[in-house]
This record gives sequence, structure tokens and C-alpha cells, in this order.
Amino acid sequence: MSETISLSEIKKVVALAKLSIPDIDLEKFYLEINNILAHFNKLNRLELKEVSPTSHISWSQPPTNPDKFQEWTGMEELFSQAPAVIDQYFIVPKVVDKQEE
Amino acid sequence: MNIDTVKAFTIEDYQNAYKKREFSPTEIIHLFLDRIRLLDPSLRAFLMVDEAGALQHARELEEKKFSESDFPPLYGIPIAIKDNICIHGLPTTCGSRILGNYRSPFDATVIEKIKKAGGIFLGKTNMDEFAMGSSTENSGFGPTRNPLDLNRVPGGSSGGSAASVAALEAPLALGSDTGGSVRQPAAFCGIVGFRPTYGRVSRYGLISFASSLDQIGTLTRNVSDSLALFTVISGQDNRDSTCAPYPPFSSSDCIPENEIKKIKVGVAQEYFTTGVDPVITQRIQEILEILTNQGFEIEDVSLPHTDYALEAYYIVAPAEASSNLARYEGIAYGYRCNQPLNLQDLYTRTRTTGFGKEVIRRIILGTYCLSSGYYDEFYLKGMKVRTLVKKDFEESFKKCDILLTPLTPCLPFKFGEKSHDPYQMYLADVFTIPSAMAGIPALSINCGYHQYLPIGLQILGAPFQEGKLFSFATYLEKILAVPPPDIHSIALEKEVLR
Repeated sequence: MSETISLSEIKKVVALAKLSIPDIDLEKFYLEINNILAHFNKLNRLELKEVSPTSHISWSQPPTNPDKFQEWTGMEELFSQAPAVIDQYFIVPKVVDKQEE
Repeated sequence: MNIDTVKAFTIEDYQNAYKKREFSPTEIIHLFLDRIRLLDPSLRAFLMVDEAGALQHARELEEKKFSESDFPPLYGIPIAIKDNICIHGLPTTCGSRILGNYRSPFDATVIEKIKKAGGIFLGKTNMDEFAMGSSTENSGFGPTRNPLDLNRVPGGSSGGSAASVAALEAPLALGSDTGGSVRQPAAFCGIVGFRPTYGRVSRYGLISFASSLDQIGTLTRNVSDSLALFTVISGQDNRDSTCAPYPPFSSSDCIPENEIKKIKVGVAQEYFTTGVDPVITQRIQEILEILTNQGFEIEDVSLPHTDYALEAYYIVAPAEASSNLARYEGIAYGYRCNQPLNLQDLYTRTRTTGFGKEVIRRIILGTYCLSSGYYDEFYLKGMKVRTLVKKDFEESFKKCDILLTPLTPCLPFKFGEKSHDPYQMYLADVFTIPSAMAGIPALSINCGYHQYLPIGLQILGAPFQEGKLFSFATYLEKILAVPPPDIHSIALEKEVLR
């Protein structure tokens, strides 16, 4: 288990998570996250090769619903939650830039 | 009628009074709305109070006629709801600025069930943002204060729900528990907190934090109200595939009082480590002596992987959170940043300005744990440790019916005491996380006071054995006779009435 995350890795992860952290706060985040990761090293004491993971506290096979179309009648109410809408389309900034055009 | 009339009421007492027409649901709703108006400017347990909706619902109930046999089980009972559970038409912010303007277009399954049972919603309660925290200091709308000491935290993340019930702004509340978020605030506020077996209660309409751990639970002033509310909200739901295919809980699953001493009590030494406040350890030891004298069989058991559960949790929960919170991007609903330059800028600035620091910290941690090359090192390892923790409990429950542990390692702490160090804050949940990782039912009761601060006792049961848990908790509540927080001696009223 990796003991630390480097500052450049943190920057990469922040970008992957679609976040941005000002440089002034980044150092603090870096220290805090490394402090937390250091505690994770305790798990290296365990022999886990033969252990299967538990992803879900299962009592049986989770049930599935029939693959059937169901109409949602509250479309207007759903769209009323959106920050910007025209005729039931979400408005977003232009995706294709000039060079690609 | 005033607040003193109902301060020791159970749901059953309200029902009996309604049936005898001693008062009406509208009068009761007015009583609690007045109480909220008086106390909440100091307490800040509620993020919104639905005065009009609550009064309208009360009037609608009064217009219907019910016979003894079809009298709804929660008829006219006011309930506070944690603000990550969706009620149609009401704000559901999850304690986050990113959902500051969101109004839910649907009801959560638990809300549908409570409505059908005649319960009345007073409003939405404060919480740590996206349920990430143990003090309610991480709310995007400011912290809730502990009604027993306004300088101390009420616990979290369901701190608003716990504080509202402790101060009797509401007789009962719903919360959610991912790693202890119902039980720990219940303990810090001196009330009863209950987390059902994972899958016992539908999560449909509960805003996701860590889906394999999240569970809706109850916060009440006594054990019987927890049982009554759980009976209403439990049961299968085809809108939540993780919901167990079992019928709702029934009080007939409980053990008769004359057989209560057949319950074998387990004690795991791993929960009595040096890091626990000696005041808490001493009180639990006293209770074990009382139980021995009462004729209960006490069995020592071992949960050897307890010490690893906290670290595994802080891999699994942030990893799942980083995935669940990817949906907040400022397009379909919620907050959007001003004048985004392009789509990437919209995503990044919306999320960076919409989320608070702890949420950002956990998203980064979770994204790292799930990132290419690290999945096996972190997330998979966390899930394997979970298997070991679960097996420990399975082995223990072969020897005993329930386990008794401290609920928290410390008494309610002061604002700012732990918020400077995230890991210290995480340690506040060290005794509630293992059972959450194993998905077993857990109940927290107030087992005494140190000066005026409550001490929480945790009762753990095997999966779907809530009947044993409630039977034992009811008995223990009776023999310990620890009073719920006094609504007149509390610091809050002193400040308000000064």
C-alpha cells in the first residue's frame, strides 16, 4: 500500500474529480490526506490474499425489476430544478470550441 | 395543554389522548411549532420548518374518521426529517450549498410510509454536508448546538435530528447512519438512536453518500417509539434493489418479558481500549454488574478485526462517495456557478464552490482510492477487511444474542475541539463503524450522565434480529431508568428564557 501521495498526484486527482484547489490550500490538503493515508498502512498487517471482498451485505441474490417501460409523469417538475432549460433541454456552455468547428 | 403535558409521552400516549379527544393533531402541531419558534434560533436544529404543510396535514387528518381497528399507527405524530431524505415539494439540501435550491420532485419510500401511517412532518433538520461528519460542524448552513450544552456539538451527521428530539422540538425524528450518524448524535444528546440491519429499510429517496453502508434510522426519546417508527418504515421496496425481501418488522418478533433473561449478552474487550474515556468504561462496567445481578449470562467474545474497521471504512465510504457525488455538476439540478466559460469550467467551478471542505477532502481521497493502479491497493483491500469484520460478528453471535459496547470513546466535545484534525474527528465513530461495515442492527441508549453530559451504550444484534435488540433495550431502559434530557434544566431554555 502506497504510503504517501505526492503533490503532483494530488493535483491530478483533484482535476480528475472536477475540482480545483487554490495553491494556498493545496499544501494543507496534501498534509491532511497524507496523514489519513498513513493510517491506512495499518491494513498491511493483515493477510488478505485468501479473503474475498464483501461489496454488499447480502442476504440473497438482490432482486431485479422486470425490464418494463414506466412512464414518469413529473417531467415539468424535474426540469424546474435545472439551473437553465429551454423546451425541456438543459442549457450548457458551448462544448465545441472554434478550432474544432 | 403545554409542553410539560407531553414531555414523557410515547407514541402510544399520543394515540390514546387523540382517541379520547383530549387534544387534536392541530393543537399538537401548534405546540411543537411554538416550541421550535422559541428554541431554534439558539439551537439551529432545523434548516426549514414546514408550518403550513404540517398544519394542513393535521387538518386533513382531523377530517377523516378512523375506527379503533384502522387507526393509523402514527396518527398526528409530529416528526422531524433529516435533510437528506426527500419530501415532495420541500427543500432537500443535504446540508450542502450545492443543493441549496433543490426541491424534491418525489417522496422517499419512508416518507410515503409515514404519510400513510398518519405522521406529520415538522420540517427538515440540519446535518453535516452529505452526512460527512460527526459534529454537524460540516453543515453548509452553520452548526447545530447541543441542547445540553450550547458550547458542545450535538454529534453528527444527524445532529439536527438528535438535537430537535433532545430539546423536544419534535418527539421523534428520522436520520441516516452510514458509519454511526444516527447513533453517535443520539448518544451525544442523550436520546435513543437506532440503525436497522442494512436492507431492512428502503433507501429510495435517501440521498446517497456511501451506498453499501447508508441506512435510514430513528431518533426518539424512548425505545418504544423507535420500535413503533421502525415498524412503519421497514419492509421490502422494489425501488431499492438492496432492500431485503422481508415483510415489515412486527412487534411480535420481540421476546416476551418473562423470557428476556434467556438473552445471552456478549462483551468484546476490543471496545474497552485505553483510548476510551474512563467515565464511559466505568459506567458500562457498572451496567454489566447490574445485568449479572439480574441473572443475565455475560459471555466474553472477541472481535479481533475491530481495530482495522475504521481505516477500511475511510477507504470504502469516500470511494463510494466520490462516485455518488459525481452527479453534482450544475446541469440537471442544484447550484450552478456564474457565467461558466466552458463545460469543464462549469463542472469544476460549480463543484469547487458548491461543496464544503470535508466533502472535497473525501472526494479527493475516494477518487485516489479508486484511481487506476490504486483500486486493488485501497478499495479492494477495504472490502476484504470488511469481510473479516463481518465474520468476527458472525462468530460472536454463535456465542451470544447481543453485544454491549460503549457507543463513543468520548463525551460530547466542544466546537472546534476536533475540527482542526480530520483523523481525530474520524475517531469519534470508532465504535459505530464496525457494525455499519457488517450491516448489523445497532441501538444506542442513554445509560447515564457524567455531570450533565450523557453516556451512550451500544447494543448490537445479529442481522434481522431487531426483535431481540428491542426486547433487551426495552428491559434495560426500564431497569436503568435514566431520564431523557430534562427540557427545563437544559442550557438552551436558560439562554432562551433569560
